[in-house]
Amino acid sequence: MVAEESMGKRTVRELLGLGALSGQVKEGCNGEWYLLVNETEFLPLVTSLAARECALIGLICTERFSPGAPFSLLYIFEKKGVLLVVVLDTAQSAPSIARLLPSACWSERDCRDGFGITFQGSFDERRLLLHETYPDDYHPLKKDVRNVPPIMKSSVEPSEEYPFRNVQGDGVYQIPVGPVHAGIIEPGHFRFSVIGEKIFNLEVRMFYKHRGIEKLAEGKPADEVVRIAEAVSGDESVANTVAFCNAVEKIAGMHVPDRAWALRTILMELERIGSHLGDQAGMLVDVAFPLGASQFAVIREEVFRMNDLLAGSRFLRGMVVPGGISRDIRTEDLVALGQFVRQVRKRYRTGLKIVLSTASVIDRFSPTGVVRRSILRPLNITGPTARASGANGDVRVDHPYGIYARHLPTVRVLHDGDVLSRFTVRASEILDSLDLIERLLNALPDGPVRVACDAKDGYALSLVESARGQSLCWLWIRNGVVERYKVRTASYCNWLAIEHAVQGEIVPDFPLINKSLNLSYAGTDL
Amino acid sequence: MNLAFGLYLVLNTAAVLLIAPLFVSIIKKVKAWAQGRSGPSVFQTYLTLAKLLKKETVYSSHSSWVMRLTPYVSIAAVLVAALFVPLVFVPEPVGGIGNIILLLYLLALARFFMALAGLDAGSSFGGMGSSREMSISAIIEPTTIIVFAALVFVFKSLNVFDMFAASAAAGAPATPTLILLGISLFIILVVETSRIPVDNPETHLELTMIHEGMILEQSGKNLALMELSAAVKLTLLMALLINLIVPFGLTTTLAIGTIAVATVLFVLKATVLAGIIGLFESSMAKMRFFRLPSLFAMAFFFSTLIIIIEVFA
Repeated sequence: MVAEESMGKRTVRELLGLGALSGQVKEGCNGEWYLLVNETEFLPLVTSLAARECALIGLICTERFSPGAPFSLLYIFEKKGVLLVVVLDTAQSAPSIARLLPSACWSERDCRDGFGITFQGSFDERRLLLHETYPDDYHPLKKDVRNVPPIMKSSVEPSEEYPFRNVQGDGVYQIPVGPVHAGIIEPGHFRFSVIGEKIFNLEVRMFYKHRGIEKLAEGKPADEVVRIAEAVSGDESVANTVAFCNAVEKIAGMHVPDRAWALRTILMELERIGSHLGDQAGMLVDVAFPLGASQFAVIREEVFRMNDLLAGSRFLRGMVVPGGISRDIRTEDLVALGQFVRQVRKRYRTGLKIVLSTASVIDRFSPTGVVRRSILRPLNITGPTARASGANGDVRVDHPYGIYARHLPTVRVLHDGDVLSRFTVRASEILDSLDLIERLLNALPDGPVRVACDAKDGYALSLVESARGQSLCWLWIRNGVVERYKVRTASYCNWLAIEHAVQGEIVPDFPLINKSLNLSYAGTDL
Repeated sequence: MNLAFGLYLVLNTAAVLLIAPLFVSIIKKVKAWAQGRSGPSVFQTYLTLAKLLKKETVYSSHSSWVMRLTPYVSIAAVLVAALFVPLVFVPEPVGGIGNIILLLYLLALARFFMALAGLDAGSSFGGMGSSREMSISAIIEPTTIIVFAALVFVFKSLNVFDMFAASAAAGAPATPTLILLGISLFIILVVETSRIPVDNPETHLELTMIHEGMILEQSGKNLALMELSAAVKLTLLMALLINLIVPFGLTTTLAIGTIAVATVLFVLKATVLAGIIGLFESSMAKMRFFRLPSLFAMAFFFSTLIIIIEVFA
């Protein structure tokens, strides 16, 4: 253990490459490293981290974190095996790093809206989550703002309307799509600039149903916030709850029983299977091949029924709690799960064979909606999307949590980056998850599934791999209640991939590309 | 105008209006079965149309008379076109009725107004639907002309009635030439009725719509008329295919017995054809929009081949 720790520290030192700074590095509760820097050190450090191929995976603003500073900005950098949190204290403003690390763009706008922090030299000064009708100088995440609905502007002048990126030229016209769609879809606005059918530019606008989840969690004990964490995004509720509970447990410095982690892992993998099956069915519906789609939709429904049997909830809610899981799963249900897994694997393979041997489907899937590898790190694209574009990244392997270190999944990597690759990566992951569930069932440890978890004060960073990719949770507990709860789901970053993936494609292929990226509106719109 | 022809006008129109919705439902049912679903009842389209007829018609404030006129032009054009394609009884043609070129352009008239109505309300999806529909029709039109020209060469007549009479008289199972023609006609049917792999009639994705995009702004009884004209168009194209390729039962004499038998046979044949369309749709994904001309090229190729055979054989 000691050797491992010093190795972690050595890696961070190497990463920093600045002898002077590395002395101030401090280890956090969950193996992440914190480094407090001042404004003069900040930009050179970020430049050097960017040059060392670190990804900026999150930017969190929080109040009264460091003594004497009103606000602290936590820049979370990730490289395989290392998580470094660069803390920059500020009164009101900070230098923008979005030009250096584009994944900072939305986060900086987020911090500006939430806390009123200004970022000097940023290239995008537009508001992000507060739309036009919100009052000026309203920063809801500040501690002195009460969590009540603000008085909205009754009318918006044309000059105040959100300025979309403007693409001009002969024959260029814009297609506004959403936030209300023809099908039952969550709200999001897509502004296409097209010539004929060809897409030249797409701009995505989200945050039409902002729920204020971060603010809602503040001042509540951890046990209550679990329900909020579950509601971040419906079909990744286990992943987000595990991320939250893991943070609580790491802050408390407690050990969660092995049986609880094994069952949590089974639930997380079931959730992944359900989500991937839904995507695959959706992709086939979008190319109008319902014969293939129904194969996966039927299995997905059966997975949900299995979830209901195991957890009493089709979306596996109410199971994961700080300290373990809320109740043990009956042995006969686990036996039924084992049989189900074997039966599903066989049927899934058959369905997959039908789909992948249909020429018209392959023709639509390939080479559509290519996500180039070069945008993955700058935008922090993760999950199956990144793995289909050649990135060898998976939180379960890079930063193992729970019992994944003992059950490392194979990282399925493909290189084409198109819809077909994303479909195939998901197919491999479904089969892997089925195998993993079966392995866990065969060697399920006995013992308690829950131990008492007394919340302690402190903060921790927790990362999990949801079906959509890297889901991040930073939790700060003070005086026994949540002081700041920040979630950044994979979709928050992955949404920007679609703006790149559709360029040069035709408008009728957009729904397919969108579905293949599986982006959550709710997970973005906290 | 003789009595037989007068009766034909009334009965054929009534029959086509009555059975057209059935075939739409049968296709849906077959597709549902292929997916392992039970699907809506085969009478669902009738109920939907009845419901729409009772509903209020809402017009966009941007729309003009085009929007209001289009459903009537569409159903009128399609019903007149349906008179050109006898379902079960072929009378002596009177006047210009049955001219295959006129048939083609009656359908084009309905489509032209539908595209105008798509543009009229000023929504982006209607515009996209119209633009796509016009692109497709510009490409499919020469193909349709060639297919019809092949028909003309085979039957030595420009008149659908004469063609039907000739095929009914021959009665025998289709010749190889006719089977080739059948493939071409089937492709035209799929394109004209906006089905997979050209368009997806069941889609909810506004960005991929062609036919559905154009009628997105229609509501109430206007929508019912648009849906009904789509159903009638499907039936008349099916009738064209059936009565040329498998004409048995088709009658040229006005007698209740033969007409009853012909009607039953036609419904059976059309049900089988609807089933084939449903299975065909289930067997493949929608084609990429810009790949569509290759599908049309197939129909073009077979028809050209027939013309060459007919001219030089």
